Amino acid sequence: MEFWKDENEPITMFLKMFEETSKIEDLSKGLKKVNQLIWFDYTQDGPNCSFWIDCRGGEIKAGQGKPDEEPALTMSLSADDAHRSWSNKLNPVMAITRKKIKVKGSATGLLKLAPKLKKVAEVYVGVLKDMDREDLIL
Amino acid sequence: MKGNTGKIIDVDLTAGKIKVDELPEEYYKKYIGGSGLAAKLFWERGNFDADPLSPEAMLIFMDGPFAGLKLSGTSRHSTAGRSPLTGGWGDSSCGGYLAPELRYAGYDGIVVTGRAEKPSMLLIEDDRIEILDAGEYWGRETAEVNSALKEKYGKAYRTLVIGPAGENLVKYSIILNEGHHATGRAGFGAVMGSKNLKAIVVKAGKKEMTLADPEKVDELRKELNPKIKEALASEVLHENGTAANLIGGMYAGDVPIRNWTSNFWEEASEDLTGSTLTETYLTKRGSCAFCSIACKRVVEVKEGPWAIPEGPGPEYETIVAFGTLMGSIDLAATCKAGRICNDLGIDTISAGGTIAWAIEAFERGDLTLEDTGGIELKWGDMDTVINKVVPMIAAKEGKLGALLAEGSVSAATKIGKDSIDYTVQCKGLEAPMHDPRGGGHGLALTYAVGARGACHVAEPMMFAELGSRYYPEIGFEYELEPMTDKEKPEAAVDMIAIGGLENSACFCQFADSEVTIPEWLDLFNFVPGYNWDIDEMMRAGRRVFYLKRLINYRFGRTADDDKLTKRMLEPARDGEPEGIEINFDGMRQRFYELMKIDPVKAIPVKEVLEEYGMGDEAAVVW
Repeated sequence: MEFWKDENEPITMFLKMFEETSKIEDLSKGLKKVNQLIWFDYTQDGPNCSFWIDCRGGEIKAGQGKPDEEPALTMSLSADDAHRSWSNKLNPVMAITRKKIKVKGSATGLLKLAPKLKKVAEVYVGVLKDMDREDLIL
Repeated sequence: MKGNTGKIIDVDLTAGKIKVDELPEEYYKKYIGGSGLAAKLFWERGNFDADPLSPEAMLIFMDGPFAGLKLSGTSRHSTAGRSPLTGGWGDSSCGGYLAPELRYAGYDGIVVTGRAEKPSMLLIEDDRIEILDAGEYWGRETAEVNSALKEKYGKAYRTLVIGPAGENLVKYSIILNEGHHATGRAGFGAVMGSKNLKAIVVKAGKKEMTLADPEKVDELRKELNPKIKEALASEVLHENGTAANLIGGMYAGDVPIRNWTSNFWEEASEDLTGSTLTETYLTKRGSCAFCSIACKRVVEVKEGPWAIPEGPGPEYETIVAFGTLMGSIDLAATCKAGRICNDLGIDTISAGGTIAWAIEAFERGDLTLEDTGGIELKWGDMDTVINKVVPMIAAKEGKLGALLAEGSVSAATKIGKDSIDYTVQCKGLEAPMHDPRGGGHGLALTYAVGARGACHVAEPMMFAELGSRYYPEIGFEYELEPMTDKEKPEAAVDMIAIGGLENSACFCQFADSEVTIPEWLDLFNFVPGYNWDIDEMMRAGRRVFYLKRLINYRFGRTADDDKLTKRMLEPARDGEPEGIEINFDGMRQRFYELMKIDPVKAIPVKEVLEEYGMGDEAAVVW
């Protein structure tokens, strides 16, 4: 991995990012509209390198690993590309076309979140700063 | 001949004569089929001096080589000829069910000239081809005529029908297949109307076609069909239709608002997006023949002023053209508008663009109450648009109907006052609902150099700028930034060739996004059996582009016509792209250099034409 020292580090960052995101009204509203259980699968970089978010029923929950239930959407990519993606430095359509991201399931909910990704990236940059990882800011 | 049948039906409606012509295989190898082969036929047989609505005008319907193959996305056909709307080359791709039926009946296309003495229709049942009286259908709407034809001949008969607008020679009239699938652009419904041809009905006895290598085609189809079906874009299109990503488009600045005077309207994104249509009015999903994507919408609006029974639903283009473009975010109104445009036989893109221009003109005082016959035009007043303006256009009724039925360029030319500056069109074809100032600057270039005018499907530049096109085998590995001109002319050179293949092979751009260059090559080598290499295939795509330019040149088009209007090149307003301007001249100049296009005549230089095996054509223009 280019950016991460172990498989747990990116998940810690990403879960913190979602925690902060859900505190911002506009983004929280956007996430709730996704209304899906999504698994972000980075297990190509280690068996524990994944997390899920559950935006169903007006609540936002998240956790490390694979969700117990079958996710409505699974996005599989490397932890490095996930870092680029959450930093808004990876064109998701291009990444899907070039097989850097594999998608399984319905992306309808995620399309509703897509316009907010720029703001999510701002939150992510804030998290990297708080976690003393400014060196990762792209 | 394999894949193709090599035969076309040649109909002279004036003489009432029908014959079947066999075309040389060289035509197919050089110009593929669809709009490319239609261009070749027009070049060889067309009357370049004829008014598009005169009996001498040629109307061409043409399949691609893969029609009937039972492969997702390949059941389209092209309609082509001189456009009555623009006066230049026109072609329009249509999905649905006509293309495979015509192929199975034994033909690759139909060429119609002349004018029938009375309302007529063409009936094709394999070898039996007849011109029949269509008096009972004349004056009736498309849905009604489609149902009547199905009732008379049977559900398995495939139909092409025009509405009252086509009969009245409205310049942007459509031809509707199965009452749902539109030959929308460039006004070929009016050409049918001018020939007194109300409908074409086709039924094949056997559903077979001859293939160069049936086993390999079968293997390829087994690979491609699931690949196309399971692609993320296909699933999104299936679930929420062509408006599935309207939200993303809105935030990018791609969705035109109030005649392209703004690039952002937050409320509209949620109210008009495809998932909202799914949740509110969708009753079923529909598809073209053999397509597993099924992006078509069937809707019902149960109550309110826009109530409509279950039937064809609006595509993205209709939703925006009769939504934000006119200052409205009423999704039910777009369903109603789409339905009446279909029934009357009008292109929703040109209608939307022309009406939006008229609303702005009225607001500015350039169009007066005297011009409109006392009708006030206001942003968002969909009652006036749907209940008055659209029916008046279809009937060419009153001053306003007659003015707007000719399209935005004609209307702006008539009222003057520099109102041409805020038309949104190229070569007279109103632009589709993608604003390059937010959607991608390369799209501005391909709008301008496209043969038929402002068009987002002549070349897949829009998809390339989104990031969904990747062809490493031809060196197309650009990581394009939509909001710059960087590498756009270079990318356009490849997209021109791909667009030539798509529109000549009549392959849907949603489906063929999943098809790689080697798979394209396999299709050509296993279906018609051309034994091409990649270079030969790409040259064929580019040759189609060159030929259409030569045709336009013979219609009097030059580099002065490869331009966009003042409104389209103003800096973007509001939202993500606010203030950004497009380096249009720079892109166009570089594109001409790369394509070896003469900067005045806007046609390829003689040496290029000879290199592409177009020496005979070169001799006509140089």
